[in-house]
Amino acid sequence: MDNSILLQICVSGAFMGLVYALVAYGFQLTYATSKSINFGQGELVMVSAFCSLTLLDLGVPYWLMVPGGLVIGALLGLVVERAAVRLALEQKSEGWILLSIIVGLFGFSLAENIWGRDDRPFPTPIPGDSFNFLGVDITWLEISVAVGVFGIMGLVELFKRRTLLGKAFEAVSADRDAAELMGISATQTVMLSYGLSGMVAALAGILISPITTVGPTMAMVLVLKAFSVAVVAGLNSGFGVVLVGLVLGSLEGLASIYFGSGWREAPGLILLIMALALRPNGIFGQATIRKV
Amino acid sequence: MLKVENLYAGYGGAEVLNGVNLEVKQGTLVALIGANGAGKTTTMRAISGMIRPSKGKVTLEGSEVESYSASRIARLGLAHSPEGRKVFGPLSVEDNLLLGAYRRLPRFFGFHSAAQEELDKVYALFPRLKERRTQHAGTLSGGEQQMLAIGRALMAQPKVMLLDEPSMGLAPVIVQEVFAIIRRLKEAGITLLLVEQFAKSALEVADYAYVMERGKIAVEGVPAELQKDERVIAAYLG
Amino acid sequence: MKRFLLIRGAELIALLVLAAIPLFITNPFALGLLTLLAIYGILLIGLDVTVGYLGQVNLAQAAFLGIGAYTSGLLVMSGGWGILPSLAVAFLICLALGALLALPALRLEGPQFALATLSFGALAVTVLNEWEDLTLGAQGLSVNRPALFGHALDAAWFYWLCIALLALVWMGMRNLLSSQWGRAFEALRDSPIATDAMGVGTYRHKVIAFAFGSALGGLAGGLYTFNFQYLQPQSFTYELMVILLLGVVLGGRKSLWGAVVGAAFIVLLPNLLSNPTLFRVFSIIGLLIALLGVVQGLKDKSAFKFQTLAPVIAMAMLVVGSFTVEHTEDWRKAIFALMLFSVVVGLPEGLMGFAGKLLTRLFRVPGAPLPPASNLDDVLPMQNADGSTLLELKDLKRHFGGVRAVDGVSMQVKAGTVHGLIGPNGSGKSTAVNVISGLYTPTSGQLLLDGKELPYGSLYQVAGAGVSRTFQNLQLFGELSALDNVMVALRDTYKMPWPLVLLGLSRIEEHKAQADALALLQLVGLDAQARTRAKDLTYGTQRFLEIARALARKPRLLILDEPAAGLAHPDAHQLVEIIRRIHGRGISIVLIEHHMDVVTALCNTVTVLDGGQVIAEGPAEEVKRNPKVVEAYLGAAA
Repeated sequence: MDNSILLQICVSGAFMGLVYALVAYGFQLTYATSKSINFGQGELVMVSAFCSLTLLDLGVPYWLMVPGGLVIGALLGLVVERAAVRLALEQKSEGWILLSIIVGLFGFSLAENIWGRDDRPFPTPIPGDSFNFLGVDITWLEISVAVGVFGIMGLVELFKRRTLLGKAFEAVSADRDAAELMGISATQTVMLSYGLSGMVAALAGILISPITTVGPTMAMVLVLKAFSVAVVAGLNSGFGVVLVGLVLGSLEGLASIYFGSGWREAPGLILLIMALALRPNGIFGQATIRKV
Repeated sequence: MLKVENLYAGYGGAEVLNGVNLEVKQGTLVALIGANGAGKTTTMRAISGMIRPSKGKVTLEGSEVESYSASRIARLGLAHSPEGRKVFGPLSVEDNLLLGAYRRLPRFFGFHSAAQEELDKVYALFPRLKERRTQHAGTLSGGEQQMLAIGRALMAQPKVMLLDEPSMGLAPVIVQEVFAIIRRLKEAGITLLLVEQFAKSALEVADYAYVMERGKIAVEGVPAELQKDERVIAAYLG
Repeated sequence: MKRFLLIRGAELIALLVLAAIPLFITNPFALGLLTLLAIYGILLIGLDVTVGYLGQVNLAQAAFLGIGAYTSGLLVMSGGWGILPSLAVAFLICLALGALLALPALRLEGPQFALATLSFGALAVTVLNEWEDLTLGAQGLSVNRPALFGHALDAAWFYWLCIALLALVWMGMRNLLSSQWGRAFEALRDSPIATDAMGVGTYRHKVIAFAFGSALGGLAGGLYTFNFQYLQPQSFTYELMVILLLGVVLGGRKSLWGAVVGAAFIVLLPNLLSNPTLFRVFSIIGLLIALLGVVQGLKDKSAFKFQTLAPVIAMAMLVVGSFTVEHTEDWRKAIFALMLFSVVVGLPEGLMGFAGKLLTRLFRVPGAPLPPASNLDDVLPMQNADGSTLLELKDLKRHFGGVRAVDGVSMQVKAGTVHGLIGPNGSGKSTAVNVISGLYTPTSGQLLLDGKELPYGSLYQVAGAGVSRTFQNLQLFGELSALDNVMVALRDTYKMPWPLVLLGLSRIEEHKAQADALALLQLVGLDAQARTRAKDLTYGTQRFLEIARALARKPRLLILDEPAAGLAHPDAHQLVEIIRRIHGRGISIVLIEHHMDVVTALCNTVTVLDGGQVIAEGPAEEVKRNPKVVEAYLGAAA
């Protein structure tokens, strides 16, 4: 096959990979503070995308809708934290996985009935046409994805490094008990992490909706790949997710060319199972020390 | 300043403390000594809210705090430097210190300048920490980590400071250094509750001391008396 | 026989009733539901192995159902196979695939494991969808129900086949659970570290258990094929998985009865949803039960906590929905979600967990009498205590970041001695022991047992090499009886391969194991409390039980990590007696201890650590007078 077409596919795939990385980044945020992740994150992406679309339908201008959508995402993240993660912790059970799946399922059903089962277009002021860069066609939408992904990840990282609250966040990740002894409330920090994670997921929804359209099932596949990226890179790997996301996105493009579009999902899933076999803590992750 | 009355606490149903009573007066250094497993560390953890007491009262500056979370008690001005130091390994030395002052600092920006004065004081006390301020705390040696843990507790400008086994796992030379620092803290008028396995050294710096045995205070008194007490000698110095 | 009937009576009655139904009821609809009940029963028993006994969220069971279904469907349609061989192959293929998935996935716990199984499930559906040459993809696959031994299977006969298989699976599971396997499952949830340290390969047990559960999924899949006679990949997606989890959780985890009750619920669920009146009644009952929880909570003041109120809120939403929503079918997922939420939060033990508690309170079945204890000489044969070097540490180091917990320790433990390891808190004793026993990998240095290098960084392998240990912070299997705690660890006793265990042949081994374990309990003076749950023992006896458990490994070297910590005086005295007895059998002991009187009474040689290094070594009396030791212990009085 022509090399330039292959390159084109890899590049387009890589941009999608950035969105996987963004959702995976959201998993890292909550894993750091509470060793838990939201298994209903895909539904959270979808519901916040629908809410953002509703905002647009109500006449809110696009650039105001974006922060609005992010706030909605953050609020949804808090709901998940309260109704699933903290509730399970209060019962001293490991049920948070189940509970977050359940909360997601409920959101899914709600969305189906409120907004319908059909896919709907997501209007955007960003032009859909493309320009040529070193022989590869890149659309402005893809550029917006990259800007959005790196923009928000940069902001969150700045927050973590430059503000005291951000440092407190890192302190809770490093040693929850010791952080409590400094006066940092671990509960509030976990809430913060779920809020941030929801916000990041909402942005992922807003960024890809113009490309994929909005529908109840829009994020199911997306989140499955984000899971793969998070586990392959390691749930405490920092920017490792970006690299893995880019590689996975490209691989998917190639898989759909060589094996047919139905096999798009396969590389992520196979990569995940292989990564678990070879490096259970992820490529960039660190092993934890067991204590007795 | 700090008063503990009839405190019961434990892990997973098994009580370790069976009615502990003690008191730390403002500006004094009180030592809590006792054999391994007597409940010294558990007492500390119950005071600072890391475990919730099942019975009894903990009073800090007149307010009852036994049902508060650890972070809330810390914000009231109790600094606990825990057993095993527990520094934030992935964070820099300076960040560790800044977090120590968390209760008094603005949450977002300007916290660095707000803490500068206290930071300088701690660096003056521990010049080694200043040299390593940008290093990850996890890469420090055991002795340096202990300095950091004490410095971090100091940053809070605490009303009461709990020091749990500051000498644990350190070479004898460094243990001496640690005790020299504790002496300086005492001179600076900081209210201290010290848990120590080295009874002799602890008794030399303390104003008052409690000896724990099986989850209870067995003996208490001023160090000069305790050093002569037969039971104490038998348990530690024999 | 009477005991047997008492325990198994309910099972026999249920089986007979279920088997007799087609003789009286010929309604094809009812029979169809019952057949489905049997199929889902098998499926959920398989799922319960991971979700209940291993305590991990498994999201792959729906996929195994699909794989099993397609395997047997294709064998029948393309290969012309018969019903039983195709079921067997479905079972075996899912067994193999389950093992393949578990090998990597079970190295992790919690979220990563759930993610791996979720991905596997998605991958399986993708493959079924896309491999159109084989599965006809989304178009679906029609399957005929082949004859069994030349006998055409009508609805009733097929139902009997399903019930017979369910009964077989039930018996197999029961045999497995009452053998060493069931004990190991219980143990590894209580303390995976101790399970490894007792030589019960946590990982191996988990992999085999998961594979077996998956295989049951495959078997159920085969039956599913012959029941519906039409297959579509879409049937085996995430939604089905959520329903299956609902079944297991609602029925009650770790319970065969629970799996079948859950299956009954799943089977009835679609009918419940299609009948508005029934649905309303059901949701109101649910709300009342949830409110009952609040009333109960009034007593212990937990009534207004979010966790008590959450199920009420969920159930109230369900009631409101049942009266306002017209097409309940559209809201199917939300309804599942609300119900599952209420059950997970409000009734975490499930219906059978709840009923089980009630029943045990009503009917006490006495335990079977124990066999007489074995002769201790057979259980712990005398070992040679010739004073040759048994364990040797060469310049051992273990660092954590900048902290040098163990920093170049060299020492030798002679065969047949009690070797004390003392030093102030944090001097590196525990870390040294954790490196020897395989919890930590050494940063550098060598460990030799009998001149051969010990395996590094694997509790399980070190346990296999003949080193056994106790833990400073007790790591008993709290839910198991004292006897079971010791039996879990017994070395060279359980040799039966697991297929034979499923047939119930492990009872022979079990008898001998009980006798051996009793002998060890006698050694530490606990034989009278053999049936007491470990967590109900007093603190002192728990320490002795850990020693007995460690001895069940029949070790060359026994490491006791602060056995006297927290012991009252009489107990400490008894401890010294016990250690003397063990020493008397020629077993070498490394003793970490703070109580100098215990050390002096027992140890032939004492090594003193401080700051991760050896500062003195020699006989106890001599070491105690060493000025360096005095300084390290009493603190440098500056």
